[in-house]
Amino acid sequence: MIVALFLSVLFSLAIGITAARNRKAETVIIPTLDVLQSIPILGFFPIVIYGIAAVLPGPAGVDLAVIFLIFTSMSWNIAFGVYEAVRSIPQDYLDLSSMSNTGSLQRIVSLYIPASLSRIAYNTQISWAVGLFYLISSEVISESTSKLAVRGIGVDIFNFGIAHDYTAYAYCLVILIIAVIIWQFIFLREFTLWAEKYRFGDDPHGAHKDPLMRAYSWVNQRSLSKLFLLKPGKTVTSITSPLSRYRRGLKYSFLILFAVFLVFEVGTLISSAKTGASTINLAALPSDELTVMIGLGYSFVRIWYVYFICVLVALPVGIVIALHERAYNALVPVIEVIASVPAPALLPAIVPFTLLTGSLAGEFTAAIVIFLGMIWYLLFNVMAGIRTLPGDLWELKRSLRVSPLQAWRNIYLPAVATAFVTGSITAIGAAWNTLIVAEYFGSSGQAPLTQVGDGIGKIIVVATNCAPVNGIPMENCSLTLALAVLSMTALVIAFNLIVWRRVYRYTTKRFAYNR
Amino acid sequence: MLKLATRQSSSVEGSTPVANSPPAKDASVQARWAEGGPWDGPLIEVDHVNLNFTKEKIALPVLVDVSLSAFKNEFVALTGPSGCGKSTLLRIIAGLIKPSSGVAKFKGQTITEPRHELAMIFQTFVLLPWKTSLDNVVFGLSSRTDLADGEKRKISLQALDNAGLSGFENVYPGELSGGMKQRVGIARALALQPEVLLMDEPFSALDNLTADRLRREIYSLLINPSSSIQTVIMVSHNVDEIIELADRIVVLSARPGHVVVDMKNELPRPRNKKSSEFLQSVDKLYSYLA
Repeated sequence: MIVALFLSVLFSLAIGITAARNRKAETVIIPTLDVLQSIPILGFFPIVIYGIAAVLPGPAGVDLAVIFLIFTSMSWNIAFGVYEAVRSIPQDYLDLSSMSNTGSLQRIVSLYIPASLSRIAYNTQISWAVGLFYLISSEVISESTSKLAVRGIGVDIFNFGIAHDYTAYAYCLVILIIAVIIWQFIFLREFTLWAEKYRFGDDPHGAHKDPLMRAYSWVNQRSLSKLFLLKPGKTVTSITSPLSRYRRGLKYSFLILFAVFLVFEVGTLISSAKTGASTINLAALPSDELTVMIGLGYSFVRIWYVYFICVLVALPVGIVIALHERAYNALVPVIEVIASVPAPALLPAIVPFTLLTGSLAGEFTAAIVIFLGMIWYLLFNVMAGIRTLPGDLWELKRSLRVSPLQAWRNIYLPAVATAFVTGSITAIGAAWNTLIVAEYFGSSGQAPLTQVGDGIGKIIVVATNCAPVNGIPMENCSLTLALAVLSMTALVIAFNLIVWRRVYRYTTKRFAYNR
Repeated sequence: MLKLATRQSSSVEGSTPVANSPPAKDASVQARWAEGGPWDGPLIEVDHVNLNFTKEKIALPVLVDVSLSAFKNEFVALTGPSGCGKSTLLRIIAGLIKPSSGVAKFKGQTITEPRHELAMIFQTFVLLPWKTSLDNVVFGLSSRTDLADGEKRKISLQALDNAGLSGFENVYPGELSGGMKQRVGIARALALQPEVLLMDEPFSALDNLTADRLRREIYSLLINPSSSIQTVIMVSHNVDEIIELADRIVVLSARPGHVVVDMKNELPRPRNKKSSEFLQSVDKLYSYLA
């Protein structure tokens, strides 16, 4: 984990600075990062494992794959942060450094890196929980797919859990939580506060001095412009950059790709319906486009209904916590820790309970995993939405003697609208990544811990293992895998561009506070 | 240079020192102000107010033994160097901040929380971006549960009209210029029909030309026979603005803030910014601030 983080930071510094200082590099690197960022990483993990294991067999290869995955989950964010930070160094500072004849190495050390620090810190804080999720899942997945044991707490936790050795399982969980606490509060918090000193510019008037919440709103603002394939730092409503042509080109090529894909799908559907060959057997292994599409549909519905549950919880809870200073100070660290404990590690503890629901157990477990992967984005964004409101607004509210009900309707709910949409977009994005754990997840040689009737995540895992399911062997694993990953990616990107972008544009236009 | 530790009474050129007594009721001033009720003491009285902020268990004094009064028919300016606590003092009067000791009173009653007789205009306007200018003003009437929605709308439309915004009722703040945003802020305060208007650097977020124009309008807008406003307290650090608008000027010292000088400004209105009397007053006030 630490190795991956370290590599990410190094990589990001190099890429980010290059992109910011070199025009040609910029036109290549930034759109590439855009695309990489939009892809549900976990879906590609099996492919990565196969690729690396082929080149470097043995445990070392798998370790490398795990590091690579965590690396990819963090790097794009951090690289964008560095790029943006270096780009936004005031011209005066650059002029000063050229006038004093600093060499390029010295300039990197004394100007570019310090300028990037605060954004690296922000991103590390956000990426951490995501990284842990990947860490645990990828350790387990790699064990089950490659039959090679990776050393790591993820595997230990899982195996103890499966073996019903709950004492050992609890020990592992406690160790994990302690590690999270040490990392979160001793290292990360200090790093963020320290890096704060290296920020250019002042805080906007009246803004809450709350580095954590500022980090959230900032990172999410940026990750959105990135999702929409915009130049980082530009808001969604302003597309005027030399790069915008590339971006627009990229966007349309995605749309065209998706359209072609749809036509292809519908074509296959019709032809298979004509021959009557595809009687859909949902229990059997998915092996053609139709089942991929059906799986995608199931997953889509699954994600959305869990999303609505998340909204019902996160919106009121987030606002209430953010409004009460004492609750906020006491609960945020706790929530941070809980949010950092990845769902896969909790699975062995959750499953015995969900099994009580009988035939719905699989669906129920999946919902919990998706819920845990999603709710923190909503919760933190809603809290950030309230906490970053200007102090004057609270004075206005008090001096007008606005009642609590009036305040909820006229201030709190509209005020969190932008942050809420931001949180929704990132939450839904994260939910796609959790599918691979939520829908079908288990250690090798054991019955899977999570399993749903149908879903794209399940298809991806099953196709990767290429093992016969219910005694029916799989016909063409790699084709199905490729198809599944591609169609999921296409759906995610198309949905971002077509639906979320509009929603986001509307809410920022109508509800954004900073104007 | 002034002795900062002592509280002095002084006066601008051509005026008399003032104690805490009502201003002379000359007819021209009287005509500009609405007829008041039976109360003829100070509308706002700040009585030996101290305020400490506690930071890491160390009490930092912000305001030290501040006393001042604002009488009926007075436009009071609060000024002083940056960080002297003048905005904080305004918030104590507004009932938003509790003083560590001492009290602020409205018509003799201790102010413990925001009151409907006192309205505030903010430096940053503080409009809700998701509401039209009309809805922002209507929102200002939230506490008036005695009014039906239709009545609130009627009052708000009138206030917007008075503030020079007729035709802009259905425009969102994001589409308004800074000057017009502050007009919405003014309309929101006027709609409340307050007796005391508190303004926290109301023009300092505006560009010079806009601020000038709004300043020229605001006096007659706030202080006329049909207005409910009887006293205005304005925080400002713009010397010209203070001499142009204020009847009384209270200067606070640098942190911790205490009253350095409390003086009257009796230049005849309308005030000509180029007249030698005006410039002398400006110089005098500068000497207290420098």
